Parts: sequence; C-alpha cells; structure tokens
Amino acid sequence: MRLELSVTDALAETPWWLSAIKAVVIFGFLVVSTLVMIWAERRVVARMQQRVGPNRVGPFGLLQGLADGIKLALKEDIIPTAADKAIFILAPIISATTCFLAFAVIPFGPVVSVFGQETALQLTDFSVSVLYVLAVTSVGVYGLVLAGWSSGSTYPLLGGLRSSAQVISYEIAMGLSFVAVFLYSGSMSTSEIVSSQDRLWFAIILLPSFLIYVVSMVGETNRAPFDLPEAEGELVGGFHTEYSSLKFALFFLAEYINMFTVAALATTLFLGGWQAPWPLGGAIWAGANDGWWPVLWFVAKLWIFMFMFIWLRGTLPRMRYDQFMKFGWKVLIPLSLLWIAIVATVRAVSNEASIDRQDILIWGGVALAVLLVVSIVWDYVSGRELEQPDDIDKPFDPFGGGHPVPPLPGQQAVAVAVVASPSNADSEVLDA
Amino acid sequence: MIELLAATPQTSTGEAVAFWCLAPIAVGAAVMILLSRKAVHSALWMATTMIVLAVLFIMQGGIFLGVVQVVVYTGAVMMLFLFVLMLVGVDASDSFVETLRAQRVAGILLGAGFGVLLMAAVSRATFPEAVGVGAANDAAGGHVEAIAEAIFTRYVFTFEVVSIVLITAAVGAMALTHKERLTPRRPQPEQSVDRIRSAHPTPHPSPGVYAQHNAVDTPALLPDGTASEASVPDELRRQGTVRYTELEAANRRADEDGERE
Amino acid sequence: MNPIVPILFLGLLAFGFAAFSILAGSLSGPKRYSRVKLDAYECGIEPTPQPIGGGRFPVKYYLTAMLFILFDIEIVFLYPWAVAFDQLAIFGLIEMLLFILTLGVAYAYVWRRGGLEWD
Repeated sequence: MRLELSVTDALAETPWWLSAIKAVVIFGFLVVSTLVMIWAERRVVARMQQRVGPNRVGPFGLLQGLADGIKLALKEDIIPTAADKAIFILAPIISATTCFLAFAVIPFGPVVSVFGQETALQLTDFSVSVLYVLAVTSVGVYGLVLAGWSSGSTYPLLGGLRSSAQVISYEIAMGLSFVAVFLYSGSMSTSEIVSSQDRLWFAIILLPSFLIYVVSMVGETNRAPFDLPEAEGELVGGFHTEYSSLKFALFFLAEYINMFTVAALATTLFLGGWQAPWPLGGAIWAGANDGWWPVLWFVAKLWIFMFMFIWLRGTLPRMRYDQFMKFGWKVLIPLSLLWIAIVATVRAVSNEASIDRQDILIWGGVALAVLLVVSIVWDYVSGRELEQPDDIDKPFDPFGGGHPVPPLPGQQAVAVAVVASPSNADSEVLDA
Repeated sequence: MIELLAATPQTSTGEAVAFWCLAPIAVGAAVMILLSRKAVHSALWMATTMIVLAVLFIMQGGIFLGVVQVVVYTGAVMMLFLFVLMLVGVDASDSFVETLRAQRVAGILLGAGFGVLLMAAVSRATFPEAVGVGAANDAAGGHVEAIAEAIFTRYVFTFEVVSIVLITAAVGAMALTHKERLTPRRPQPEQSVDRIRSAHPTPHPSPGVYAQHNAVDTPALLPDGTASEASVPDELRRQGTVRYTELEAANRRADEDGERE
Repeated sequence: MNPIVPILFLGLLAFGFAAFSILAGSLSGPKRYSRVKLDAYECGIEPTPQPIGGGRFPVKYYLTAMLFILFDIEIVFLYPWAVAFDQLAIFGLIEMLLFILTLGVAYAYVWRRGGLEWD
C-alpha cells in the first residue's frame, strides 16, 4: 500500500545527502538516456529509410553515442577570431546547465523508502513547479541567442535569431496549453497534477490542450519538421556553426535533454505521469502504482514521446519558416485561448448551476456531431467534390506553355511532330 | 528595501546569510551594466541582476514572484533587449564623446539627487506590522491561491488596466516597426509558374570546384571555357568578390582592354 | 529544507559538467593554428565584411519579442487564475474573459495590420 507521507512532507523531510544522490541519479539518467537516444534515433531513422544504421561500435552499435562523444573530444577546439571569447564560451554552458534544471521538478514515482528514509521519487516540488520549468526554458534561450551573437559570423547570427524567435513563439502556445490542466488540477505542483489524474488522464479530457502541447513541444525543441534553425540548405548549422569539439557536444546534449524535458512534461501533465496505464492500474494489478514500478511506467511513456520525435523526423519534410511562424501565431495561440475560454466557462457553469459536467459534455458533443453532419450534407447537396482542373478532358499540348511538360494523369497528350531539325540544333550549339 | 519585504516578522539567519551573499552580486552586476562597453555585455549583466533578485524573492518565501521574475524579466524583457541591441548594431559599443556640454556633470547631479529623494521616501515610509508570508498563505489556502485572490478580487481594476497598457505596447510596437507591403505577396505556386515560363526554368549551374578554390564565389566554367555568371550568387556579383580562374580573369581583362580601345 | 536547495545541487552538477567539458575540450584536441581556419565560416568564400555598426537585423524580430512579452504576461496572469478558479467562481471567469478580450483587441490589430506575416 501507499506509504503514509504526502509528497510535500516527504520532500521536506528528505535529508540533504539523499537530495544530492537524487540529483546525481537524475543527471546520470539524462546523460545515459541521451546516449541511448542518439543511438535509437539513428537506428530507427535508418530502419525507416531502408538502411541498417550504425552497428559497429558495441552490440547493435549501442556504444555509438559514446564513440561520437570521444571523437568530438579529440577534435580541435576552435574559437574564431571574430568571436566574443567570453560569451562564446559562456553560451554552451548556459545551454547545458539550464536543460538539466527543468528535470528537478519531474516526478519519476510516488513516495518510496530509500535507505530507510521515506522520500518522493522527484528531486523537488513546490507550488509553482510548472511555471519554474517555463522560467528555466526561457533562460535556456539565452544559450542559443548568445551562441549566435558571439560567433561573429553571419550564419550563426541568423540561426540564433531564428531559433530564439521560434522558441519564444512556441513557448506561448505551450504555456497556454497548460492553463486548462491547472484549471482541472487546481495546482501548479507536478506531484499534485499527477495525483489528480488518478482516474482519468488529462490527455483524454483535455485533448485539444494535449494536441496543442505536442505540436508546440516539437517547435520548442527545434526538431523536425520544425528544425528551421538548422536548415542546412539556408543556414549551414544555425547557431552552432562555429562551434566544434566538446562545445558543440554540449549544444547537442542540450538539444536532446530538452527533448526529454518536454516529453517528461507531457507525460506528467497529460499522460498521468508515473501512474500505470489504464487497464493495469488498480483494476488488474493493485500494486502497479506502488513502490518502484511507477518508474517503469514513467520511462515507458517518456520513450513513447521520444519515439514520436524520431518518427516525425523520419516522416515529415521541413516546414517553410513563414508558414511555421504563421501556424504558431495564427492557429495555435487563438485556438488555445478559445479552448481555455470554453473549458473555463463549462467548469464555471457546472460549478455554479450545479449542472452535471457530463450533461454539458454530452450536449456539446451532440451539437458538434450535428454540425459535422450538417456540413457533410451541405457539401454533398452543394455538389462540391474533389476539385479537378477544368481542362482535364481536353487534349493536352506538352509544348503549349513554351516548355515541355508531361501530361497529368488522365490527360491525353496530342501527338506533336518533332519540330527541331538536326541541322537547326547543330547551328544553335555552334552559335553558343 | 528587500529586507523590509521579509517573509517572517524576524529575519532568520539563513535568510540573512542568503541576503548578504546575493545582494553584493546583484549590486555588482548592476554596476557592471554601467561599466560594460559592449551593449550585449550590459544586457547580460542585467540578466544576472534579475536572476539574483529572483533568487532573493524565492528565499523570502515569494516563490511565485521569484519564478515570474525569471519568466517575465529575464526571459521576455531581456530577449526584447537583445533584439533591440541587434537592431542598434550587433557590435555597437558605447561612445564616450560628450555631445552635450556638461552632460556628465548634470547626469551625476541628477542621479545623486534622485538617489537622495528615493532614500528619503523609503526611510520615511511606514510599513504595517508584517504577518509573514506563511500566515498570509495559510489564510487563503496556498501560496498561489493567495496571490490569485489578491490580484483577482482586491486589485481587479488594476488587473484590467494592465490589459489596456498591454494594448498600448502592441500598438506602439506596430507603429514603430511595421512596414506595409508595397507590392502584393507572390505565393510559391505563382513563383514556380513564372520560373517555368522564364528563359531559365532549371536550377542555375553549381559553382566551380577547382584545385585552388572550392567555394560559391568561384564561377563554373562552360564548355567553351568562359565563366558562367549564373553559377555565382547575385549578391557576390554585386559586391564584386567573385573569384575567376586565372585564364578567365586574363580573358576578362583582355575584353575590358578591347572595349576601352 | 527549502525546496530550492535540491535545484542548486542539480545546477552545480550540470554547471560543473559543462565547465569541465569545455576545459577538457580545449585541452584534449589538437591545436594547429591557421588564420583561415579561425575566419568566420561562409561556405568557403571570403567572409562578408560586416558593415559599420556590425550589421543590423530585421526589425521584425522586435515585434515578435514584444508580442511574446504581451502573451507571456497574459500567461503569468492566467496561471494563478486557473489554480484558484474554483474559489474565484463566475466573477473570476468574467474578469479573465474581459482580460483576454482586451488583449484580443491588440492581437486582432496586429494581425489585421499584417504584423504576424513573415516573408
């Protein structure tokens, strides 16, 4: 059964040495996960592209990440002449330090007993934990922008500005998607948010929030299809173009740990955190949410998101920058605000008028379904079908536009006599 | 000033230690804002001051305030500040030329005067008996709840006024920075149609790759030995930094000489 | 124990790791000086000389940053409101809807003027 202490009390009574051990464990967990993630990403993307992927270093190539790290350490450490030296060194330190900090408030599990001491499986927790994560992220942006600025070179500067503009734009959508969660949990503390999901995950009741969060977390971490700061065709390497050796490795590490952070946050806020997935928890196996098992559930959910990151990278092409910013500012933000207004109104009405929330949901669902049916019928009645080019039936002249174009599927090309005679072509070449 | 906001009626030892460790850092960083030559360095020192202040707030028990301080001040305002610096000029540094006569003397006098005024005001202010953050929080059932109650019931008018101030900020930013488009935006499909219709629908030839140069500023050679102008970016041609091969450079010189004669 | 203290542990650890990496990186690698190698990277061409003042940036970024601050402040207000929503009841709902609407005016204005367009 659950241990007696509440999370807050357990954390308050945790001795400093235990906290220090927890900090070391979190640090180690993140570094090792990053190494595994580098390997997993390369192997899975390779599989998606019909390749084998790295399989030389260690069993199944598992030590590839480590080998990469060692190789980077043996590379020359370059500080360009035009760089602002102090800030050039400071930028990777800021990135690599802040990315670890956000994990301090992520709950890995409930209260357990370690060395005869009851403590919660999270480093710390307080009343504004989630806001703290946002604060740490916004400091982390400094790493990007300073790296870009201090390099004294054009591409990094452009890349740094782009990434920071991107991160701050998507941070808003991200921040707004949390509001509905706080409405339902009545708290900003991560452990309380997890415990308020013991019956139903917020991903289910607050599906729009969850979807907005998932999109913005990809934008926030600069990952494909939103990896515009690293659009190598436009900006070479983006903000870290001038970085080499272990300084580059620190940025790399920070990017991966940021992915773990946003995935952990998604797990905590929307997928019930460390709680066992639905059929397991309670009904089938009473002990699934006790002791150390929750760590397993948490890590499994974390890796679902990590797999999603890899999957996205293997599937989607990169977006165009203007479309990406437009999507963030004109779609995600108004949608989030609208959703917050809806959730809050429904909640207030059901609180005040003591109407069952289920009734509101049912009637809302019925209204939506009616709307959907009406729109389908409307489309059917008004005869709107798949848009086809008007001239699909007409014979198609491949040379009509002046430049040879193959016919579209369904089009019939008219037979064209070969106009250019050999003598003509010869004389053209000679003229050139 | 910060001491007066103390969490508990009496300042505890830990609090005092934290204050005396952090306050010098905050003040030192603030002084460095003034002493740094480069604008970006000043901005960074300012961020340091803000973060240290945030830690001080947290140490006093105002954890929400502290974290918000980081989110809004360090995150948002400093980002804005950095962007502004980039507008002013990436490497812009302070000029030490005095453009107005006696500006420095006037500045020092005014600054000192303001300091005296501020100190007088703060030292003469009367503060109600502090009850401590803990007691205030317990009354409302939690730290965040207590703040929410204060903002959304007692100071509701101020809260609504904030939104109007924010409108002003948005309108101001638009007025200062927005540039209307003079020509209609041409979407990608239109551009690609135009390109196919143009004289040159295929991609431009890639730049030259030779033993001496391997770069975008070296034009490719056509089969007849002339350099292809289309293979180097327009921008480089405008700057006049295109690097021709020796033979081609000689040819071009000969051509120019011929034209002159 | 103050809940902030464990964060300091993690922060020190991460900072130590980052600082150590940078130090190790500068010691472990080879050092072969060459002027061209230390130039700014621009795909092999001579680096574009920075214009006086160090080059400026599209003012567009300023607008983005300003809008970010606007919404950041909105978020900071929304969080405690959401946490204390049940205590604030209908009054809280109405005042926050008013707040969002007022900010919506600014948002609509910027949108209408084309401030959200990137090209």
